[in-house]
Amino acid sequence: MSSERKSSPTTLSFHFTPVDRAEEQPDTENPHIKETSEVSETITALKERFGDAIEDVTIYAGEFTIRIPRKEIRVVCAFLKDNLGFNYLASLAGIDRFTEKDRYEVFYNLVSMSNNKRLRLVARIDEEDLTIDSICDVYRAADWNERECYDMFGIRFNDHPDLRRIFMPEDFEYYPLRKEFPLLGVPGSLPLPPQTPEAPLTLDPFPAAHGRKPAKSFEEEAPSE
Amino acid sequence: MIEDGFLTTRLDAVANWARSNSLMPMPMGLACCAIEMMAFAAPKYDVARFGSETMRFSPRQADLMIVAGWVTYKMSHAIRRVWDQMADPKWCIAMGACASTGGMHRCYGVVQGCDNFLPVDVYVPGCPPRPEALIHALMDIQEKIRNEYSVTKDFESGKARDAIAPVRPRIVTPDGDGIISPSELHDQKARHGHTAIHDKNP
Repeated sequence: MSSERKSSPTTLSFHFTPVDRAEEQPDTENPHIKETSEVSETITALKERFGDAIEDVTIYAGEFTIRIPRKEIRVVCAFLKDNLGFNYLASLAGIDRFTEKDRYEVFYNLVSMSNNKRLRLVARIDEEDLTIDSICDVYRAADWNERECYDMFGIRFNDHPDLRRIFMPEDFEYYPLRKEFPLLGVPGSLPLPPQTPEAPLTLDPFPAAHGRKPAKSFEEEAPSE
Repeated sequence: MIEDGFLTTRLDAVANWARSNSLMPMPMGLACCAIEMMAFAAPKYDVARFGSETMRFSPRQADLMIVAGWVTYKMSHAIRRVWDQMADPKWCIAMGACASTGGMHRCYGVVQGCDNFLPVDVYVPGCPPRPEALIHALMDIQEKIRNEYSVTKDFESGKARDAIAPVRPRIVTPDGDGIISPSELHDQKARHGHTAIHDKNP
């Protein structure tokens, strides 16, 4: 290795982005900060309207996240949509924070098409009472996202028009994205088709590894093991 | 009659010839492997050369199921149902790592290999496999069909017969007057550490 090469590594740099509290002087050095996520005017308007209901405002890479109590979520969303122009719900999902208190979190990514701004709302839910108000009547797009959140975490959305599981079978007994759910699933909770026409559903998740070969057709017998 | 010329053959040979050269695949495209499966049927790779260009989207008209992509537990019941609706005789290809073993989807919702509920004949490795690999799998299915007994078995009272030696690609010796089969090559290599082909050009 030549000495020239050693002397010029300065072009490479890495910018670590820590999670910050909202400050008077936000981080302007970060190259990841985008114009669209600068929503301090919206936050001022929200604080004027809701006051103490705005529990916390955090900034990560210039993106604002507003934490509000779950009772307020419908009102805040309606205010953001009607008064501040956030007319599009990009996504909504749950998080299992795995903490003693306020274990679950639901986040809402809102976009203002007219002002070209993005905003994230967050509401925490305790394990004791896994409910939050549905925002389906504010944003129609929330329908299937809330069903997914219910399917994966078991969070119930009050007044949702059709709160059913969306991905997992309807008789599935678990909520797979909770932290205590094993990655490989619970054996027997998701049945495979029967190995022979008369047989019951296959509850073993690995029948092939245990030497079972399913029948080719109803007329032919299954090959012996 | 002798003036016109005639041909003798076995009924099995004719049936197997017809079956193996007119396989109609049922494309069970579940994920990205299905894109490669489309290339396999499209003009560049041209599976029409093997008589399998007619993808049948009705299981009643298909006799080869190509499971292309990862299979969820929820989907597995639908796939088995489609498979049961296909008329005998039928064959199955598990295309790609996910259909064969679950692949990278080692999680609660994905079946770890579609052989857990389907009788798979040929597994194709790859993520996704190239269309050539799928053509090779199709040729393996064809070879399997050509070596099957369907009609003769009745005359033999169900007695099992020795299978005909499989039709493998032949390798001609460098001097051009002999034929080496791949298994011979393997044996030679095991015995001598080199093959007859390498003998000519040491």
